[in-house]
Amino acid sequence: MTNVSAMAPAVEKIDAPATQSARLGLWLTLPAQLLVLFIALFPILMQVYISLTDWSPLDGIPWWKAHELWIGLLNYADLMADNRFWGALWRTMFVMAICVPVQFLLGLGLAVLFVDDFRGKRVLYSTLLVPMMVVPAVAGYMFFMLFQSGGPVNDLLSFFTSDPVRIAWLSDPDLALIAVMIADIWQWTPLMFLILLAGMISVPQDQQMAAILLGASWWRRFFTIVLPRMKSIIIIALAIRVIEIFKIFDTLFIMTGGGPGVATETISVYIYKVTQQELIWSYVAAIALAILIVLSVVSVFAIKRMQRGQKP
Amino acid sequence: MQRSIPFEIFRYAVILGIVAVSLVPTLWMISMAFKPIAEWSAAGADLTWWPRNPTLDNFRFIFGQSSTDLIVALERTAGRPIFASLLTATCGTLIAMTAGTSAAYGLSRFGQGGNLPLALIQLRLFPPMAVMIPVMIMWSFLGLIDNWFGLSLIYGIVTLPFAFWLMKTFFDDMPREIEDAALVEGCTRWRVFVRITLPMMRPALASSALFVFILNWSDYLIALLLTTRDWATIPVYMASLSSSMTGQLYGAKAALGVIAAVPPIIMGIAIQKHLVRGLTFGALKE
Repeated sequence: MTNVSAMAPAVEKIDAPATQSARLGLWLTLPAQLLVLFIALFPILMQVYISLTDWSPLDGIPWWKAHELWIGLLNYADLMADNRFWGALWRTMFVMAICVPVQFLLGLGLAVLFVDDFRGKRVLYSTLLVPMMVVPAVAGYMFFMLFQSGGPVNDLLSFFTSDPVRIAWLSDPDLALIAVMIADIWQWTPLMFLILLAGMISVPQDQQMAAILLGASWWRRFFTIVLPRMKSIIIIALAIRVIEIFKIFDTLFIMTGGGPGVATETISVYIYKVTQQELIWSYVAAIALAILIVLSVVSVFAIKRMQRGQKP
Repeated sequence: MQRSIPFEIFRYAVILGIVAVSLVPTLWMISMAFKPIAEWSAAGADLTWWPRNPTLDNFRFIFGQSSTDLIVALERTAGRPIFASLLTATCGTLIAMTAGTSAAYGLSRFGQGGNLPLALIQLRLFPPMAVMIPVMIMWSFLGLIDNWFGLSLIYGIVTLPFAFWLMKTFFDDMPREIEDAALVEGCTRWRVFVRITLPMMRPALASSALFVFILNWSDYLIALLLTTRDWATIPVYMASLSSSMTGQLYGAKAALGVIAAVPPIIMGIAIQKHLVRGLTFGALKE
Protein backbone atom coordinates (compact mmCIF):
# COMPACT_ATOMS: atom_id res chain seq x y z
CA MET A 1 0.00 0.00 0.00
CA THR A 2 1.39 3.38 -0.91
CA ASN A 3 0.77 6.47 1.02
CA VAL A 4 2.64 9.22 -0.67
CA SER A 5 0.70 11.84 1.26
CA ALA A 6 2.39 10.85 4.52
CA MET A 7 4.51 13.97 4.30
CA ALA A 8 1.50 16.21 4.73
CA PRO A 9 0.65 16.49 8.43
CA ALA A 10 -2.25 14.17 9.09
CA VAL A 11 -3.82 16.03 11.95
CA GLU A 12 -7.05 14.92 13.49
CA LYS A 13 -7.75 15.86 17.01
CA ILE A 14 -9.59 13.61 19.36
CA ASP A 15 -12.02 15.73 21.33
CA ALA A 16 -11.32 14.90 25.03
CA PRO A 17 -10.67 18.03 27.05
CA ALA A 18 -8.98 20.06 24.35
CA THR A 19 -6.59 22.06 26.52
CA GLN A 20 -5.41 19.01 28.39
CA SER A 21 -4.64 17.30 25.09
CA ALA A 22 -2.83 20.31 23.71
CA ARG A 23 -0.70 20.57 26.83
CA LEU A 24 0.21 16.89 26.73
CA GLY A 25 1.03 17.24 23.04
CA LEU A 26 3.39 20.09 23.80
CA TRP A 27 5.14 18.12 26.52
CA LEU A 28 5.49 15.12 24.27
CA THR A 29 7.08 17.09 21.46
CA LEU A 30 9.32 19.09 23.80
CA PRO A 31 12.34 16.74 23.93
CA ALA A 32 12.53 16.50 20.15
CA GLN A 33 12.11 20.27 19.82
CA LEU A 34 14.91 20.87 22.30
CA LEU A 35 17.24 18.44 20.55
CA VAL A 36 16.56 20.07 17.17
CA LEU A 37 17.08 23.51 18.65
CA PHE A 38 20.28 22.33 20.32
CA ILE A 39 21.72 20.97 17.07
CA ALA A 40 20.38 23.73 14.82
CA LEU A 41 20.38 27.05 16.61
CA PHE A 42 23.66 27.10 18.57
CA PRO A 43 25.81 25.48 15.92
CA ILE A 44 24.56 27.78 13.20
CA LEU A 45 25.04 30.94 15.26
CA MET A 46 28.46 29.71 16.30
CA GLN A 47 29.28 28.84 12.71
CA VAL A 48 28.32 32.33 11.51
CA TYR A 49 30.41 33.93 14.24
CA ILE A 50 33.52 31.83 13.77
CA SER A 51 33.39 31.98 9.99
CA LEU A 52 33.91 35.73 10.21
CA THR A 53 37.16 35.35 12.10
CA ASP A 54 40.54 33.75 11.60
CA TRP A 55 40.21 31.51 14.65
CA SER A 56 41.74 28.06 14.94
CA PRO A 57 41.99 25.80 17.98
CA LEU A 58 45.75 26.25 17.89
CA ASP A 59 45.54 29.99 18.58
CA GLY A 60 45.28 29.41 22.30
CA ILE A 61 42.31 31.69 22.75
CA PRO A 62 38.86 30.27 23.54
CA TRP A 63 36.32 30.30 20.75
CA TRP A 64 34.12 32.94 22.33
CA LYS A 65 36.98 35.41 22.06
CA ALA A 66 37.37 34.68 18.37
CA HIS A 67 36.23 38.23 17.54
CA GLU A 68 39.75 39.37 18.42
CA LEU A 69 40.71 37.78 15.13
CA TRP A 70 37.91 39.35 13.12
CA ILE A 71 38.49 39.24 9.39
CA GLY A 72 35.01 39.88 8.06
CA LEU A 73 34.14 38.06 4.90
CA LEU A 74 37.68 37.12 3.99
CA ASN A 75 37.01 33.39 4.50
CA TYR A 76 34.17 33.56 2.01
CA ALA A 77 36.36 35.37 -0.47
CA ASP A 78 38.99 32.67 -0.03
CA LEU A 79 36.35 30.05 -0.64
CA MET A 80 35.46 31.55 -4.00
CA ALA A 81 39.06 31.22 -5.09
CA ASP A 82 39.74 27.84 -3.48
CA ASN A 83 40.46 25.45 -6.33
CA ARG A 84 40.69 22.47 -4.05
CA PHE A 85 37.17 23.14 -2.78
CA TRP A 86 35.69 23.52 -6.25
CA GLY A 87 37.61 20.45 -7.37
CA ALA A 88 36.13 18.45 -4.51
CA LEU A 89 32.65 19.76 -5.28
CA TRP A 90 33.02 18.90 -8.94
CA ARG A 91 34.30 15.42 -8.06
CA THR A 92 31.36 14.82 -5.75
CA MET A 93 28.99 15.84 -8.54
CA PHE A 94 30.82 13.58 -10.96
CA VAL A 95 30.48 10.56 -8.65
CA MET A 96 26.80 11.45 -8.28
CA ALA A 97 26.30 11.76 -12.02
CA ILE A 98 27.74 8.28 -12.59
CA CYS A 99 26.55 6.35 -9.54
CA VAL A 100 22.94 7.51 -9.26
CA PRO A 101 21.91 6.57 -12.83
CA VAL A 102 23.78 3.25 -12.67
CA GLN A 103 22.18 2.38 -9.33
CA PHE A 104 18.79 3.45 -10.63
CA LEU A 105 18.93 1.39 -13.81
CA LEU A 106 20.30 -1.70 -12.04
CA GLY A 107 17.74 -1.34 -9.27
CA LEU A 108 14.89 -0.85 -11.73
CA GLY A 109 15.97 -3.85 -13.80
CA LEU A 110 16.16 -6.04 -10.71
CA ALA A 111 12.79 -4.78 -9.52
CA VAL A 112 11.23 -5.79 -12.85
CA LEU A 113 12.65 -9.30 -12.42
CA PHE A 114 11.30 -9.51 -8.87
CA VAL A 115 7.87 -8.05 -9.36
CA ASP A 116 6.06 -11.36 -9.92
CA ASP A 117 6.46 -14.56 -7.96
CA PHE A 118 9.00 -17.23 -8.69
CA ARG A 119 10.63 -20.01 -6.76
CA GLY A 120 13.25 -18.83 -4.28
CA LYS A 121 12.15 -15.19 -4.49
CA ARG A 122 12.23 -14.47 -0.77
CA VAL A 123 15.67 -15.89 -0.12
CA LEU A 124 17.16 -14.17 -3.16
CA TYR A 125 15.49 -10.91 -2.16
CA SER A 126 16.97 -11.01 1.35
CA THR A 127 20.38 -11.93 -0.01
CA LEU A 128 20.35 -9.00 -2.39
CA LEU A 129 19.76 -6.62 0.52
CA VAL A 130 22.89 -7.71 2.39
CA PRO A 131 25.32 -5.13 0.90
CA MET A 132 23.31 -2.13 2.11
CA MET A 133 23.35 -3.51 5.64
CA VAL A 134 27.12 -3.86 5.80
CA VAL A 135 28.64 -1.11 7.96
CA PRO A 136 29.96 1.40 5.38
CA ALA A 137 33.39 1.62 7.00
CA VAL A 138 33.65 -2.18 6.86
CA ALA A 139 32.52 -2.11 3.23
CA GLY A 140 35.33 0.35 2.60
CA TYR A 141 37.76 -2.08 4.13
CA MET A 142 36.36 -4.96 2.04
CA PHE A 143 36.94 -3.03 -1.16
CA PHE A 144 40.32 -1.88 0.07
CA MET A 145 41.29 -5.56 0.26
CA LEU A 146 39.61 -6.48 -3.03
CA PHE A 147 41.46 -3.79 -4.97
CA GLN A 148 44.95 -4.55 -3.65
CA SER A 149 47.39 -5.20 -6.45
CA GLY A 150 47.63 -8.83 -5.34
CA GLY A 151 43.97 -8.97 -4.49
CA PRO A 152 41.01 -10.91 -5.85
CA VAL A 153 39.92 -8.33 -8.44
CA ASN A 154 43.25 -8.58 -10.22
CA ASP A 155 43.20 -12.32 -9.70
CA LEU A 156 39.89 -12.54 -11.52
CA LEU A 157 41.14 -10.29 -14.31
CA SER A 158 44.24 -12.47 -14.63
CA PHE A 159 41.94 -15.37 -15.32
CA PHE A 160 40.87 -13.72 -18.57
CA THR A 161 44.29 -12.51 -19.70
CA SER A 162 47.41 -14.51 -20.32
CA ASP A 163 49.75 -12.58 -18.01
CA PRO A 164 48.92 -11.95 -14.38
CA VAL A 165 47.31 -8.55 -13.90
CA ARG A 166 48.92 -6.30 -11.30
CA ILE A 167 46.92 -3.11 -11.46
CA ALA A 168 47.45 -0.81 -8.51
CA TRP A 169 43.83 0.30 -8.39
CA LEU A 170 43.93 2.50 -5.35
CA SER A 171 47.15 4.33 -6.13
CA ASP A 172 46.19 5.31 -9.67
CA PRO A 173 44.24 8.60 -9.67
CA ASP A 174 41.70 7.57 -12.31
CA LEU A 175 41.28 3.97 -11.23
CA ALA A 176 40.94 4.95 -7.58
CA LEU A 177 37.88 7.04 -8.41
CA ILE A 178 36.44 4.15 -10.40
CA ALA A 179 37.09 1.73 -7.51
CA VAL A 180 35.35 4.09 -5.12
CA MET A 181 32.34 4.34 -7.42
CA ILE A 182 32.19 0.55 -7.80
CA ALA A 183 32.05 0.23 -4.03
CA ASP A 184 29.21 2.77 -3.83
CA ILE A 185 27.27 1.07 -6.60
CA TRP A 186 27.78 -2.30 -4.90
CA GLN A 187 26.55 -1.05 -1.58
CA TRP A 188 23.60 1.12 -2.60
CA THR A 189 22.05 -0.52 -5.65
CA PRO A 190 20.08 -2.73 -3.20
CA LEU A 191 18.50 0.39 -1.71
CA MET A 192 17.25 1.52 -5.13
CA PHE A 193 16.01 -2.00 -5.79
CA LEU A 194 14.20 -2.18 -2.46
CA ILE A 195 12.39 1.13 -2.91
CA LEU A 196 11.62 0.70 -6.62
CA LEU A 197 10.31 -2.83 -6.08
CA ALA A 198 8.00 -1.65 -3.29
CA GLY A 199 6.81 1.13 -5.57
CA MET A 200 6.30 -1.21 -8.52
CA ILE A 201 4.28 -3.69 -6.45
CA SER A 202 2.00 -0.91 -5.28
CA VAL A 203 1.01 0.09 -8.83
CA PRO A 204 -2.66 -0.95 -9.08
CA GLN A 205 -3.35 -3.93 -11.30
CA ASP A 206 -6.64 -2.81 -12.89
CA GLN A 207 -5.21 -0.62 -15.63
CA GLN A 208 -2.57 -3.18 -16.47
CA MET A 209 -5.21 -5.86 -16.80
CA ALA A 210 -7.20 -3.62 -19.11
CA ALA A 211 -4.09 -2.98 -21.17
CA ILE A 212 -3.37 -6.71 -21.39
CA LEU A 213 -6.90 -7.31 -22.64
CA LEU A 214 -6.38 -4.63 -25.25
CA GLY A 215 -3.27 -6.45 -26.37
CA ALA A 216 -0.65 -3.92 -25.27
CA SER A 217 2.88 -5.31 -25.25
CA TRP A 218 4.82 -5.64 -21.99
CA TRP A 219 7.14 -2.76 -22.91
CA ARG A 220 4.24 -0.52 -23.73
CA ARG A 221 2.49 -1.31 -20.47
CA PHE A 222 5.72 -0.72 -18.56
CA PHE A 223 6.43 2.69 -20.08
CA THR A 224 2.89 4.03 -20.28
CA ILE A 225 1.32 2.61 -17.11
CA VAL A 226 3.86 1.34 -14.58
CA LEU A 227 6.59 3.98 -14.82
CA PRO A 228 4.31 7.03 -14.79
CA ARG A 229 2.51 5.64 -11.74
CA MET A 230 5.87 5.26 -9.98
CA LYS A 231 6.91 8.85 -10.60
CA SER A 232 6.90 10.11 -7.03
CA ILE A 233 8.59 6.96 -5.71
CA ILE A 234 11.30 7.25 -8.34
CA ILE A 235 11.86 10.87 -7.36
CA ILE A 236 12.17 9.88 -3.70
CA ALA A 237 14.61 7.06 -4.47
CA LEU A 238 16.77 9.32 -6.62
CA ALA A 239 16.63 12.11 -4.03
CA ILE A 240 17.82 9.76 -1.28
CA ARG A 241 20.83 8.67 -3.30
CA VAL A 242 21.68 12.22 -4.41
CA ILE A 243 21.62 13.36 -0.79
CA GLU A 244 23.67 10.42 0.42
CA ILE A 245 26.29 10.67 -2.31
CA PHE A 246 26.67 14.34 -1.55
CA LYS A 247 27.70 13.29 1.96
CA ILE A 248 29.87 10.37 0.78
CA PHE A 249 32.68 9.74 3.25
CA ASP A 250 33.06 6.45 5.17
CA THR A 251 33.66 3.90 2.45
CA LEU A 252 35.70 6.23 0.32
CA PHE A 253 37.83 7.52 3.17
CA ILE A 254 38.75 4.00 4.31
CA MET A 255 39.56 2.92 0.75
CA THR A 256 41.70 5.83 -0.38
CA GLY A 257 41.74 8.52 2.31
CA GLY A 258 40.86 10.92 -0.51
CA GLY A 259 44.05 10.08 -2.32
CA PRO A 260 46.19 9.52 -4.23
CA GLY A 261 46.78 13.25 -3.97
CA VAL A 262 43.31 14.71 -4.18
CA ALA A 263 42.10 12.21 -6.79
CA THR A 264 39.16 10.96 -4.71
CA GLU A 265 38.71 13.97 -2.46
CA THR A 266 34.99 14.72 -2.13
CA ILE A 267 33.36 17.56 -0.21
CA SER A 268 33.18 15.67 3.08
CA VAL A 269 36.73 14.38 2.78
CA TYR A 270 37.99 17.86 1.95
CA ILE A 271 36.22 19.37 4.96
CA TYR A 272 37.51 16.56 7.15
CA LYS A 273 41.08 17.15 6.05
CA VAL A 274 40.95 20.89 6.60
CA THR A 275 39.42 20.23 10.02
CA GLN A 276 41.77 17.52 11.25
CA GLN A 277 45.01 18.16 9.42
CA GLU A 278 45.16 21.84 8.66
CA LEU A 279 43.03 22.87 11.65
CA ILE A 280 41.73 26.07 10.05
CA TRP A 281 38.37 25.79 11.77
CA SER A 282 37.12 29.25 10.92
CA TYR A 283 37.54 28.49 7.24
CA VAL A 284 35.78 25.15 7.66
CA ALA A 285 32.91 26.99 9.34
CA ALA A 286 32.64 29.23 6.30
CA ILE A 287 32.61 26.27 3.89
CA ALA A 288 30.08 24.39 6.00
CA LEU A 289 27.82 27.40 6.33
CA ALA A 290 27.89 28.02 2.59
CA ILE A 291 26.89 24.40 1.99
CA LEU A 292 24.15 24.55 4.64
CA ILE A 293 22.64 27.68 3.13
CA VAL A 294 22.61 26.31 -0.40
CA LEU A 295 21.15 22.98 0.76
CA SER A 296 18.49 24.67 2.91
CA VAL A 297 17.26 26.80 0.05
CA VAL A 298 17.22 23.86 -2.35
CA SER A 299 15.55 21.51 0.13
CA VAL A 300 12.83 23.89 1.30
CA PHE A 301 12.02 24.61 -2.32
CA ALA A 302 11.99 20.91 -3.25
CA ILE A 303 9.93 19.77 -0.26
CA LYS A 304 7.35 22.54 -0.72
CA ARG A 305 7.05 21.63 -4.35
CA MET A 306 6.62 17.95 -3.56
CA GLN A 307 3.97 18.67 -0.95
CA ARG A 308 2.12 20.87 -3.39
CA GLY A 309 2.37 18.25 -6.10
CA GLN A 310 0.86 15.61 -3.83
CA LYS A 311 -2.24 17.53 -2.90
CA PRO A 312 -4.82 17.08 -5.61
CA MET B 1 3.95 -11.17 -16.80
CA GLN B 2 5.93 -13.23 -19.24
CA ARG B 3 5.92 -16.87 -18.31
CA SER B 4 7.98 -18.39 -21.09
CA ILE B 5 10.77 -20.79 -20.22
CA PRO B 6 13.52 -18.68 -21.85
CA PHE B 7 12.39 -15.76 -19.73
CA GLU B 8 12.56 -17.83 -16.55
CA ILE B 9 16.08 -18.96 -17.44
CA PHE B 10 17.05 -15.38 -18.17
CA ARG B 11 15.57 -14.24 -14.88
CA TYR B 12 17.46 -16.79 -12.80
CA ALA B 13 20.71 -16.23 -14.68
CA VAL B 14 20.63 -12.46 -14.12
CA ILE B 15 19.51 -12.66 -10.52
CA LEU B 16 21.99 -15.35 -9.55
CA GLY B 17 24.77 -13.42 -11.28
CA ILE B 18 23.97 -10.26 -9.34
CA VAL B 19 23.55 -12.17 -6.09
CA ALA B 20 27.01 -13.66 -6.62
CA VAL B 21 28.57 -10.23 -7.25
CA SER B 22 26.83 -8.78 -4.23
CA LEU B 23 28.07 -11.55 -1.95
CA VAL B 24 31.70 -11.79 -3.07
CA PRO B 25 33.09 -8.82 -1.10
CA THR B 26 31.48 -10.02 2.12
CA LEU B 27 32.54 -13.61 1.57
CA TRP B 28 36.07 -12.50 0.80
CA MET B 29 36.27 -10.71 4.13
CA ILE B 30 34.89 -13.73 5.97
CA SER B 31 37.42 -15.92 4.20
CA MET B 32 40.23 -13.52 5.17
CA ALA B 33 39.11 -13.56 8.77
CA PHE B 34 39.69 -17.30 9.02
CA LYS B 35 42.99 -17.44 7.17
CA PRO B 36 46.19 -18.06 9.09
CA ILE B 37 48.78 -15.33 8.84
CA ALA B 38 50.81 -17.14 6.20
CA GLU B 39 47.89 -16.92 3.80
CA TRP B 40 47.21 -13.22 4.17
CA SER B 41 50.53 -11.63 4.96
CA ALA B 42 52.46 -12.66 1.87
CA ALA B 43 51.15 -9.84 -0.28
CA GLY B 44 50.55 -10.95 -3.81
CA ALA B 45 52.46 -14.19 -3.50
CA ASP B 46 49.78 -16.76 -3.90
CA LEU B 47 46.18 -15.77 -3.57
CA THR B 48 43.87 -18.28 -1.96
CA TRP B 49 40.15 -17.75 -2.35
CA TRP B 50 39.26 -19.97 0.57
CA PRO B 51 41.40 -20.56 3.69
CA ARG B 52 43.47 -23.70 3.25
CA ASN B 53 44.02 -24.05 6.97
CA PRO B 54 41.10 -22.28 8.61
CA THR B 55 41.97 -20.88 12.01
CA LEU B 56 40.56 -18.63 14.71
CA ASP B 57 43.96 -16.98 15.25
CA ASN B 58 42.78 -13.63 13.89
CA PHE B 59 39.94 -13.48 16.38
CA ARG B 60 42.21 -14.53 19.23
CA PHE B 61 44.72 -11.92 18.15
CA ILE B 62 42.33 -8.95 18.26
CA PHE B 63 41.20 -10.00 21.71
CA GLY B 64 44.76 -9.85 22.93
CA GLN B 65 45.97 -13.40 22.79
CA SER B 66 49.40 -13.48 21.23
CA SER B 67 49.45 -15.48 18.07
CA THR B 68 52.02 -18.11 17.24
CA ASP B 69 53.15 -16.51 13.98
CA LEU B 70 52.50 -12.88 14.63
CA ILE B 71 55.12 -11.35 16.88
CA VAL B 72 53.42 -7.99 17.29
CA ALA B 73 51.21 -7.48 20.28
CA LEU B 74 48.30 -5.10 20.21
CA GLU B 75 48.45 -1.96 22.25
CA ARG B 76 44.69 -2.09 22.71
CA THR B 77 42.43 -5.06 22.21
CA ALA B 78 39.08 -5.11 20.44
CA GLY B 79 37.05 -5.66 23.60
CA ARG B 80 36.86 -2.04 24.57
CA PRO B 81 35.86 -0.67 21.11
CA ILE B 82 33.17 -3.35 20.81
CA PHE B 83 31.82 -2.31 24.19
CA ALA B 84 32.01 1.36 23.16
CA SER B 85 30.09 0.67 19.94
CA LEU B 86 27.44 -1.33 21.76
CA LEU B 87 26.97 1.19 24.55
CA THR B 88 26.90 4.35 22.42
CA ALA B 89 24.69 2.83 19.71
CA THR B 90 22.26 1.55 22.36
CA CYS B 91 22.11 4.82 24.30
CA GLY B 92 21.84 6.81 21.06
CA THR B 93 18.93 4.59 20.05
CA LEU B 94 17.26 5.13 23.42
CA ILE B 95 17.55 8.90 23.10
CA ALA B 96 16.27 8.96 19.51
CA MET B 97 13.42 6.56 20.22
CA THR B 98 12.26 8.32 23.38
CA ALA B 99 12.25 11.79 21.86
CA GLY B 100 11.09 10.53 18.46
CA THR B 101 8.22 8.35 19.68
CA SER B 102 6.75 10.93 22.02
CA ALA B 103 7.06 13.71 19.45
CA ALA B 104 5.52 11.50 16.78
CA TYR B 105 2.57 10.77 19.08
CA GLY B 106 2.23 14.43 19.96
CA LEU B 107 2.04 15.35 16.30
CA SER B 108 -0.05 12.44 15.14
CA ARG B 109 -2.72 12.77 17.84
CA PHE B 110 -2.62 16.35 19.11
CA GLY B 111 -1.24 18.22 16.12
CA GLN B 112 1.57 19.74 18.16
CA GLY B 113 5.04 20.38 16.79
CA GLY B 114 4.01 20.92 13.19
CA ASN B 115 7.46 22.30 12.40
CA LEU B 116 9.18 19.02 13.27
CA PRO B 117 8.62 17.00 10.07
CA LEU B 118 10.32 19.56 7.87
CA ALA B 119 13.02 20.42 10.41
CA LEU B 120 13.90 16.75 10.80
CA ILE B 121 14.01 16.11 7.06
CA GLN B 122 16.45 18.99 6.79
CA LEU B 123 18.49 17.57 9.64
CA ARG B 124 18.73 14.33 7.72
CA LEU B 125 19.67 16.19 4.55
CA PHE B 126 22.73 18.01 5.81
CA PRO B 127 26.11 16.37 5.61
CA PRO B 128 27.16 15.72 9.22
CA MET B 129 30.55 17.09 8.24
CA ALA B 130 28.96 20.51 7.76
CA VAL B 131 27.90 20.90 11.40
CA MET B 132 30.82 19.14 13.01
CA ILE B 133 32.94 22.23 13.74
CA PRO B 134 30.41 23.79 16.13
CA VAL B 135 29.60 20.34 17.52
CA MET B 136 33.26 19.70 18.22
CA ILE B 137 33.60 23.10 19.89
CA MET B 138 30.43 22.63 21.94
CA TRP B 139 31.31 19.08 22.90
CA SER B 140 34.78 20.02 24.07
CA PHE B 141 33.32 22.98 25.97
CA LEU B 142 30.91 20.59 27.71
CA GLY B 143 33.61 17.97 28.27
CA LEU B 144 31.91 15.46 26.01
CA ILE B 145 34.80 14.63 23.70
CA ASP B 146 35.90 11.00 23.92
CA ASN B 147 33.08 10.32 26.31
CA TRP B 148 30.32 7.74 25.94
CA PHE B 149 27.61 10.18 26.78
CA GLY B 150 28.77 12.76 24.25
CA LEU B 151 28.81 10.22 21.46
CA SER B 152 25.42 8.79 22.49
CA LEU B 153 23.89 12.27 22.53
CA ILE B 154 24.98 13.15 19.02
CA TYR B 155 23.87 9.69 17.78
CA GLY B 156 20.48 10.29 19.36
CA ILE B 157 20.18 13.62 17.55
CA VAL B 158 21.42 12.39 14.19
CA THR B 159 19.00 9.43 14.12
CA LEU B 160 16.07 11.32 15.64
CA PRO B 161 14.58 12.04 12.18
CA PHE B 162 14.36 8.31 11.44
CA ALA B 163 12.82 7.43 14.82
CA PHE B 164 10.33 10.27 14.51
CA TRP B 165 9.22 9.57 10.95
CA LEU B 166 8.98 5.83 11.43
CA MET B 167 6.89 6.14 14.58
CA LYS B 168 4.78 8.89 13.04
CA THR B 169 3.76 6.67 10.15
CA PHE B 170 3.04 3.81 12.56
CA PHE B 171 0.87 6.06 14.75
CA ASP B 172 -0.91 7.47 11.70
CA ASP B 173 -1.73 3.92 10.61
CA MET B 174 -3.00 2.81 13.99
CA PRO B 175 -6.78 2.73 14.34
CA ARG B 176 -8.03 5.13 17.01
CA GLU B 177 -11.09 3.20 18.14
CA ILE B 178 -9.34 1.49 21.03
CA GLU B 179 -7.86 4.75 22.31
CA ASP B 180 -11.24 6.43 21.99
CA ALA B 181 -12.90 3.62 23.93
CA ALA B 182 -10.40 4.00 26.76
CA LEU B 183 -11.01 7.75 26.82
CA VAL B 184 -14.72 7.17 27.15
CA GLU B 185 -13.97 4.83 30.06
CA GLY B 186 -12.40 7.82 31.77
CA CYS B 187 -8.68 7.25 31.27
CA THR B 188 -6.51 10.35 30.98
CA ARG B 189 -4.74 10.93 27.67
CA TRP B 190 -1.39 10.21 29.28
CA ARG B 191 -2.60 6.88 30.67
CA VAL B 192 -4.01 5.94 27.28
CA PHE B 193 -0.64 6.64 25.68
CA VAL B 194 1.40 4.71 28.24
CA ARG B 195 -0.97 1.86 29.03
CA ILE B 196 -2.72 1.24 25.74
CA THR B 197 -1.01 2.83 22.77
CA LEU B 198 2.61 1.99 23.59
CA PRO B 199 1.98 -1.70 24.40
CA MET B 200 0.00 -2.03 21.18
CA MET B 201 2.87 -0.48 19.26
CA ARG B 202 5.45 -2.89 20.63
CA PRO B 203 6.29 -4.52 17.26
CA ALA B 204 6.54 -1.09 15.60
CA LEU B 205 8.75 0.17 18.42
CA ALA B 206 11.01 -2.86 18.13
CA SER B 207 11.44 -2.51 14.36
CA SER B 208 12.09 1.21 14.60
CA ALA B 209 14.58 0.74 17.40
CA LEU B 210 16.47 -1.90 15.41
CA PHE B 211 16.49 0.39 12.37
CA VAL B 212 17.90 3.26 14.41
CA PHE B 213 20.40 0.96 16.12
CA ILE B 214 21.76 -0.17 12.75
CA LEU B 215 22.29 3.45 11.73
CA ASN B 216 24.08 4.28 14.97
CA TRP B 217 26.19 1.14 14.85
CA SER B 218 27.20 1.98 11.27
CA ASP B 219 28.59 5.40 12.04
CA TYR B 220 32.23 6.13 11.35
CA LEU B 221 32.64 9.85 10.71
CA ILE B 222 31.15 11.15 13.96
CA ALA B 223 33.10 8.74 16.14
CA LEU B 224 36.22 9.62 14.18
CA LEU B 225 35.81 13.28 15.11
CA LEU B 226 34.48 12.97 18.64
CA THR B 227 36.54 10.16 20.11
CA THR B 228 40.25 9.89 20.51
CA ARG B 229 41.05 6.77 22.44
CA ASP B 230 38.94 5.56 25.32
CA TRP B 231 35.63 5.51 23.48
CA ALA B 232 36.83 4.82 19.95
CA THR B 233 34.18 2.66 18.30
CA ILE B 234 34.83 -0.41 16.16
CA PRO B 235 35.33 1.36 12.80
CA VAL B 236 37.66 3.94 14.34
CA TYR B 237 39.64 1.24 16.12
CA MET B 238 39.73 -0.84 12.96
CA ALA B 239 41.34 1.97 10.99
CA SER B 240 44.06 2.19 13.61
CA LEU B 241 44.89 -1.50 13.31
CA SER B 242 48.04 -1.28 11.27
CA SER B 243 51.51 -1.69 12.55
CA SER B 244 54.85 -0.61 11.26
CA MET B 245 56.13 -4.16 11.49
CA THR B 246 53.45 -6.00 9.58
CA GLY B 247 51.83 -3.19 7.63
CA GLN B 248 48.16 -3.80 7.16
CA LEU B 249 46.94 -6.48 9.53
CA TYR B 250 44.56 -7.88 6.94
CA GLY B 251 43.42 -10.92 8.87
CA ALA B 252 42.89 -9.07 12.13
CA LYS B 253 40.96 -6.29 10.41
CA ALA B 254 38.83 -8.81 8.57
CA ALA B 255 38.02 -10.59 11.82
CA LEU B 256 36.98 -7.29 13.34
CA GLY B 257 35.02 -6.46 10.19
CA VAL B 258 33.08 -9.71 10.53
CA ILE B 259 32.22 -8.86 14.14
CA ALA B 260 31.08 -5.37 13.10
CA ALA B 261 29.15 -6.46 10.01
CA VAL B 262 27.20 -9.46 11.26
CA PRO B 263 24.80 -7.86 13.80
CA PRO B 264 23.34 -5.22 11.42
CA ILE B 265 22.93 -7.78 8.64
CA ILE B 266 20.90 -10.07 10.90
CA MET B 267 18.87 -7.16 12.29
CA GLY B 268 18.33 -5.70 8.85
CA ILE B 269 16.99 -8.96 7.48
CA ALA B 270 14.76 -9.30 10.54
CA ILE B 271 13.13 -5.93 9.87
CA GLN B 272 13.26 -5.96 6.07
CA LYS B 273 9.51 -5.47 5.93
CA HIS B 274 9.93 -1.99 7.38
CA LEU B 275 13.15 -0.97 5.65
CA VAL B 276 11.38 0.89 2.86
CA ARG B 277 9.23 2.81 5.30
CA GLY B 278 12.28 3.83 7.33
CA LEU B 279 14.43 4.76 4.37
CA THR B 280 11.81 6.81 2.56
CA PHE B 281 10.56 8.54 5.72
CA GLY B 282 7.21 6.85 5.49
CA ALA B 283 6.49 8.07 1.98
CA LEU B 284 6.18 4.44 0.97
CA LYS B 285 4.85 1.65 3.15
CA GLU B 286 4.51 -2.00 2.41
